[in-house]
This record gives sequence, structure tokens and C-alpha cells, in this order.
Amino acid sequence: MDLSLNEKRLLKALEQEKSADPGSLAALLGATRDQVVQYAMLLSDRGLARIDKTVEISWTLTPEGTLYAREGLPERQLLKGIVGRVPMAELTKHPLSRIGIGQMRKKGWITIRDGMVERTGKDAPGADELALPDISRGGEGARELVKRGLATEEETVSFRIAITPEGEAAAGKGLDLSGEVGTLSREQILTGQWKDLRLRRYSLETLPRKVYPGKIHPYQRILDEMRQILLEMGFAEIYGGLAQSSFWNFDALFQPQDHPAREMQDTFFLKETVPVPRGFERVRDMHIHGGTTSSTGWGGEWSVKKAEQCVLRTHTTSLSIQHLVSHPEPPVKVFCIGRVYRRESIDSTHLAEFEQLEGIVMDRDVTFRHLLGFLKEFYGRMGFEGVRFRPGYFPYTEPSVEPEVYVDGLGWVEMGGAGIFREEVRAPWGVKHPVLAWGLGVSRVAMLRLGLKDLRLLYRTDIDLVRETPTWRPSLITGPGGE
Amino acid sequence: MAVISLYYRYLERMTGAGRGEILERLPMFGSDIERVEEDHVDVEFFPSRPDLFSVEGVARAMRGFLGLETGLPKYQVTPSGINFSIDPGLAAIRPYLGTAVIRGISLDEEAILSLMGLQEALHWALGRGRSKVAIGIHDLDRVTPPFRYIAGERTRAFVPLDYDREMTMEEILEEHPKGRAYAEIVKDFPKFPLIVDACDNVLSFPPIINGELTRVTGESRNLLLDTTGTDERAVMTAVNILCTALADAGGRIESVEVQGTHIPTLAPSTRLVSTRECNTLLGVGFTPQELSVLLQRMRFSAEPAGDDKVRVTVPCYRADIMHDWDVFEDAAIAYGYENFRTEIPPTFTIGRAHPVITIASAVRSLGSGLGYQEVIPFTLSSERVMYGKMQRPTVPGTLCVLHPISEENTMVRTGILPLLIETLQYNRHRELPQRLFAVGDVVEGLQTFQKAAFVSLHPAADFSEAYAVADVLCRELSISYTPEESEDPAFIVGRRGNLLKKGRVIGTFGEIHPAVLNAWELEHPVAAVELDLTAVPGYPSGLGTP
Repeated sequence: MDLSLNEKRLLKALEQEKSADPGSLAALLGATRDQVVQYAMLLSDRGLARIDKTVEISWTLTPEGTLYAREGLPERQLLKGIVGRVPMAELTKHPLSRIGIGQMRKKGWITIRDGMVERTGKDAPGADELALPDISRGGEGARELVKRGLATEEETVSFRIAITPEGEAAAGKGLDLSGEVGTLSREQILTGQWKDLRLRRYSLETLPRKVYPGKIHPYQRILDEMRQILLEMGFAEIYGGLAQSSFWNFDALFQPQDHPAREMQDTFFLKETVPVPRGFERVRDMHIHGGTTSSTGWGGEWSVKKAEQCVLRTHTTSLSIQHLVSHPEPPVKVFCIGRVYRRESIDSTHLAEFEQLEGIVMDRDVTFRHLLGFLKEFYGRMGFEGVRFRPGYFPYTEPSVEPEVYVDGLGWVEMGGAGIFREEVRAPWGVKHPVLAWGLGVSRVAMLRLGLKDLRLLYRTDIDLVRETPTWRPSLITGPGGE
Repeated sequence: MAVISLYYRYLERMTGAGRGEILERLPMFGSDIERVEEDHVDVEFFPSRPDLFSVEGVARAMRGFLGLETGLPKYQVTPSGINFSIDPGLAAIRPYLGTAVIRGISLDEEAILSLMGLQEALHWALGRGRSKVAIGIHDLDRVTPPFRYIAGERTRAFVPLDYDREMTMEEILEEHPKGRAYAEIVKDFPKFPLIVDACDNVLSFPPIINGELTRVTGESRNLLLDTTGTDERAVMTAVNILCTALADAGGRIESVEVQGTHIPTLAPSTRLVSTRECNTLLGVGFTPQELSVLLQRMRFSAEPAGDDKVRVTVPCYRADIMHDWDVFEDAAIAYGYENFRTEIPPTFTIGRAHPVITIASAVRSLGSGLGYQEVIPFTLSSERVMYGKMQRPTVPGTLCVLHPISEENTMVRTGILPLLIETLQYNRHRELPQRLFAVGDVVEGLQTFQKAAFVSLHPAADFSEAYAVADVLCRELSISYTPEESEDPAFIVGRRGNLLKKGRVIGTFGEIHPAVLNAWELEHPVAAVELDLTAVPGYPSGLGTP
């Protein structure tokens, strides 16, 4: 039997004492009580010692309980004031009425009818009241007082440790009490002293301390994964400002100036303005009469002033269109993952800001079938095997499509929007080839992956969520490399 | 979005198909089924298709989509002989009027529900909450033509719908529920729009409320329609959509003479589209004949006109057909999105990460390497969080939103450190130590750029820890800096420093002031660092302004 030095020392002490409490053994061994109990448990596992555990419960009144012990329980104090029939309204004026009335009813001391209170006459003291003067006796009354928050209960656990006949036998064979080593020192390693040392054995039963690594947020890891997929697919990443002019956020995307999204209840407007860019006239004409295309335009008027007002970007498409304007020659394949804003009241499914992922492909001869093919590939790489397409509507794309992915337990879930930029959007800038465009609210993917019910948790971080979410795990939906 | 209730009995009767078939195909036509109920289904249609905001309109479209009746629906209009004049005084108030007479109609309860739903949805989608277009429908037999659309005195009185006493128009704006709801649209004009008949009876006070006199009931047989507004095209679209729905419900449409013009005509328009252009857009190989057949299922009339061209006749209610591609999208829907053979785009390009995001990623790996946990706070914040509770003065050029939705979201963050401190407050009851970092966009003026911040909260957190983290961040990000004493009131005097690069402050670090800890109800010292990432060599300049 391979006893540790501490176990041997305790066994040796028990051989003398036969039976003792941990306190006195601790004094003998120069250890703490807790250490002694720990060693004794190891010995008891080997059948060499026995631990007898006694649990004693003691009760103490809380300050409130002490007060009532002196002045009587609230219901008793209140009852004294009830003579004949008393209006409820009168009774509720008593400072203790909130507790007292409830208790009196519960105990059946009073009846309340039509707002009048009357004694039933059955108002003998209950177990709690009887226990109040001497709580230390415990019993049912004490437990009730604990429930009422008028007393506290404390458990005292005491141990007595005794040697068993097997322990006596083991001790009788003699115990080697030469020292054991925990942490090896530099000197012990270098000099070879370690060869003569007894190295302490550690128990696997003692669970390791829980450590938390520094971590990238699980939501950020999902964003990084999407970014990686798009880089692998040959997209260049773009980045730009959170504040945009209405011109780039709306007008350049052929959103009419009276579109509901451009009203102050849907979009965060800013007091700042920036001048419209060179070439704005072609966008203006497109809105008014369709410019030189087959479009009729929106008709009506187009105001420069409205286009100049800044907003917090409502989509990152404002960056895509500006990139196209400065890169009108094919091919263009860019994407962006960034914060966008909607003027929404915040609740578990709506936020005023969230990440949008968006990309465009502009090239000779790209078609609607390519758009669908691209979407299928992207969602497939995100781990969504089932993808289907339904007609959609977005002001700046035609045709428009709503991709949906299949999620076990949820069915078909809408996953963003896509389409081909309308000619009205690209024509003013001399972009001659089709532009496939798609966008995705990333937070929805994150909710599915992380199993969250409340969107706010992505941004208002409970650090335990970060601590407890494994860095790698097969996702709820079948993720890349998942099961 | 417009959610329309479709009552099965009426829908099935109008479509000539069972509800099962209709419900199965509706999503592939371009709509979202919101709720399936015992007697009706609530369906959301796109705002671009106000012609689908009634059972009649949906039935018309579905008859085509299901192949039961294809091609252009025909609508006859005969003159009613009725005149409707417009007062020139309305030019600056609400200039446009559309109208029509509908005869011989008999509306059952479900048809009336459909009509009310249509009116409601049109007010929302086309009418922009009645400001652009408002619709009135009247029992024609209660009034005497000709009708006049006039600018009336604000004190003119009549009995509004749902009331049994006369009220002046001013009183209506103050007391009537509809008056209060829409007062904004007219209240500042010296006179109010008003529709009256030959005997000066009031039909309507557009865009607010009709008169009780012309209330439409199940007994009404002949109707007068008025649409008024500020946009002529939208006003006429509303007339077309309402008239075609009422014609489908069994009415005969008659025109009204307005300033010498007969309204409505319900006349379709034509477009000559290219099959080649359609094929190039969709990636398909339709013949002009095939394209024509698809378009007929979407209720266009279409016939090949030569090798390439197709002559398309667009019904008057399709206000969304602005461009040839709108027609091609309809062809794609008729073909079925599910039937397209998908293909990866052949475009070859080389992926390229953006340096700003690459730098942010480097900071993230540094942060986690240092044992910090990342958080992703909101970018919208408030002066109280950013400055007040941090004891800091307001940064000039703070970007404020004009109509904040709550006190917590009044501005875009100018820094990230206050939001990390706020996050520590949320996590007061979590195990220590807590070491958090965040990296992301901040805005000063209209300029967006990135910052990173680090906080460490535990009983032994102090200035030395903050200094060490500031130093390692700079070393790892190749920023050469000189330290100087800081005057940032968020930190303790004598325990705070600025990071200087070429004389510019690019970061701050130190031990958070105990008054700030008190303000955030934190119980242990906090060591903190904030760094402006534009100081990182390779951070591109000239980015992030509108």
C-alpha cells in the first residue's frame, strides 16, 4: 500500500490516540483541521481509518426576529387592534399591516368580507410563535421562522476520526516517515538528488483549478470565419465610415427621396451635411425620369439638400456603391463586414445596430444563375446544406431574391437578401456590367450558432458566456468540420 | 410591410382554386405567409406590389401564376357624364385628384373587408401615411353631381364618419381620432381640402375623414371614388388599383371628367423588350415565344415582335414596372426560382484583406495572448456613459443622432474604454480577475477610425499593470512612443500617462479614479489602456469620412 507521508503521519498519530477530533490531531501533526480531514478521507478510502460525521443544527433569530420576540409577531400585534368589525382600509394604515394581514388570514385568525375584517376567535399561537421565545430548541416552529426570514439556520459539521483494525495492522508493520518532495527544485534536478527523493503522488480525484484563457469573442470568431471564407473565394475586403451622406446611403442606390426608410422614425439622421459628389446630376436625372435607360424613374422632384444630409449608415451597400464608382471596370469582387444602424427600439429580437455582411461581384457576363450559385456556395461553406431561393424585393436590385437555409427544428430560415443592381444604380457611373449583390444580417447566424435567444447578449457581454463558450465546437447547425 | 388578410372563401371563389394549392404557391410568387388561421391567412406582400393588397388582386395574379387564366386582364371604362372640378387654391395644399364611378356593385362582408384592407395598405405603401395619397370611397346615391374639390374654410362644419353631430374641420383635427392622427399633414394651411357635391353637401375632408353622409354599406350599389394627394403618379396608381379590384369584385367602372380629362382610363402601357437582354440578365436561353408565355402567366400580354423583341403590354395597376428588368424579374418568377440551374461565377480575382481589419485582428490575437477576453460593445452610447461617469469633458465634434430613441443611444462612441468599464459593471458578480478588451470603430466629427481598449479589474490591479500593457501593445504593434504625464480625469493623479507619437497623443493608460469606480459601482481597482489604432504603422490614411 502506497501511503503518502501525510497519510502515514496521521496513521501514526491515530495508532497512539485510537480516536480523536480533527482539532487535536491537527495540533499533533502541525497541520490545519481541513488538511487532517482530507488526509483522513484518504485513509478511510483505504479502509485504514473511519470518519464519523455529526451534523448539528443551530438556530439564531435575525434582528427582525429578535424585535418580534420582544414585541410579538406582526399578526399578534395587529390582532390586538381588531375589536369587532374593522374596515380593511383602517387596518392597512398600521405599519405592520403588509405582513400582519397576510399572516392572520393564512393562520385563519380573521375573515375579510366586503372590505371589513373580523376575528374568527381561533387565534391560538402557531408553532412559529411558540418557538419565538426560545429558538435554540429548534423544531417545526424554528423552521417556520427561518422560512419567514425571522431566524437563520446554521449547520455545524463535526468529525471524529478513529483507526480501524486494518489501520492498526498496517501501522504495526512499521511506517517509513522519511520526507516526500512536492515541487522539484532547480538544484535537485541539476545535481541528481532527485534520484534519492520520494516524490509526492498527486490524486486525480482532486479536481483541477478552473482557468479561463484570454479569448476572442465567440461572435467575433463567427465574423472571422465568414471573412475567411470570402477571402478564400477571392473577394477583397473594404472598410469605410459609419456616417454617410444620404446621397451614398440612399440616392445612389435609387431609393426614392420619399421612401419610408428615409423618414426620421426609421433612420438615425445627423445634423451634419456633406456636399453631393461630382456627377450627382446623373443620379438626380435617374430619379426624376430614368436618365438614358429604359426606366421611367420615380418622377416628382429630387432635392440636393435631402441628399446632403448625413445618416448613420443603414447598410454597408453605401460602401459597395462608392467602391464601384471608383472601380467601374470589371472585374470587381469586394465584401465588407460592418456595423449598420436602424432606428429601432431595442428588445430581444431588435437592435439599433448590428453587423451586416455584404458583397458584390461585377463582371462581364455574370447572371442571375451565377448569383444563386454564389449564394449556395457561400451558405454551404457556412455549414448550411439546404439552401433555397424565393422572390424578394429590395429597392436597388432587380431581380431580387431571398435566400433561405434549412435549419433542423426551425425549418426554412430567411438569410438576408440578394439581387442584381438595377441599371438605374450602376448606369450613372458608367458601370457597364452586371453587379451581383447580397447582404446578410450576421447576428442571425450567430444566434443560431451560439444558441442565443436574445440578440442583446452579443453586445452586452456576460463574460461567463465568453468564458464558457468553447473556442471550437461542432456548431448547432452543422458547421464546417462539424459532426 | 403590408400584411393582407385573405379570407379563404372569397379567395377560393375569386381564384377558382383550392386554398391548399394557393398557399403552397404563394411564397414562390413573392410573399411571406405570416399566419394561417381558421378562416383566413395573413400574407405579407412587398411594398412594390400594391396591386396585391386585396383578395381581388391576389386572385387575379394567382389565376395567372397557376395557369388558370393568363394574359392581360381587360377592363372596360364608359363615361359617367359626371364632372369633378378642382379649385386652383389647392395648388399649394393638395393639388392632385383622381376619381372614378363604380356602378352595380354588391359587396358582401368579405368583399368589404378586402376593400377596407386594400384602402389601409394603399394609405401606408403608396400614400406614405396619407400624406402623398389619401383615398375616400362614397355611396354615390347619397349625393348629387357635379362634385367640387375645393379649398374650404377651416371653420366649415359637417358630420364626420362615426359621429352624429356636426364639427368644424378645426374641431375634427383636435377631437376626432382620425383628425388627431393625421392633423400634421394639413394643420398649417390657411384653408383645408374639401370635397362637396352640387348641393354643397360634404363628401370628404381629405386626407382626414369622410362625411357620415356617404358611408358605404352592404346596401350601397354605386360608388364614387376620390384619391387626393401631392404626387400625380401615385394618385392615379391608387385609382387604377382600386378600380381594377372593384371591377374584379363585379363593379362597372365609369370615368369622371376632371378639368377636361376623363379619369380613369385603366389603359395598359406597352414596352418593347429584348429577349437577348433578358437571357443575359438571367443566364437562360428563352426564345421570344417562351418569354411571352412566361410573361402571360404574370398577367402581361406579350407577343414576339421579330427575332429578339417581345411586345409587352403592362396592366395599369402594375406601378412597379419602371424598367425592362422589372419585366424580366417577372419572367424569372414565372419560370420559378427553384428551376434555375445554379452556377459559380467564373470571375477570377485574388482575395485581399483590408489593412484596418488586419490590424484589428492582430490586436485581438495580442489581447487574447495577454489573457484578456474580448467583448463587442455597442457603438451607440450617451454623454453620461462616455463623459459624465468618466469625469471627462465632452470631446468636441461628438457625433450626436438627431432623434435618439432612448437616453442610452444619443451619440456614436468617441472611445471604447467607457464601454469596457460599463461591461465590468454588468459583470460585477462574476469571478475575478476580469481582464477585458475591445477593438472597433469610433467616430470623431464625421471621421470613423479604430481604437482598442483594455481593462483589468482585480484586487491588485494598479498603474504598473496598465503601464506594462500599454508598453507591450506598442512594442508588439511596432509603435515607438514616449510617455508623458496625462491630465485625463478618469485616472488617478500621479497614476496616469499618455502615449505620445511625434507629439500626438495616441493613447492613455493608468489606474481608474476611485470616483469613477464609485460611479460604476465597481469594488476593486481597474488598470486601463486605450490606444488609437491610426498610430499603428500601415494603418491607411484618408479613410472613414463620408
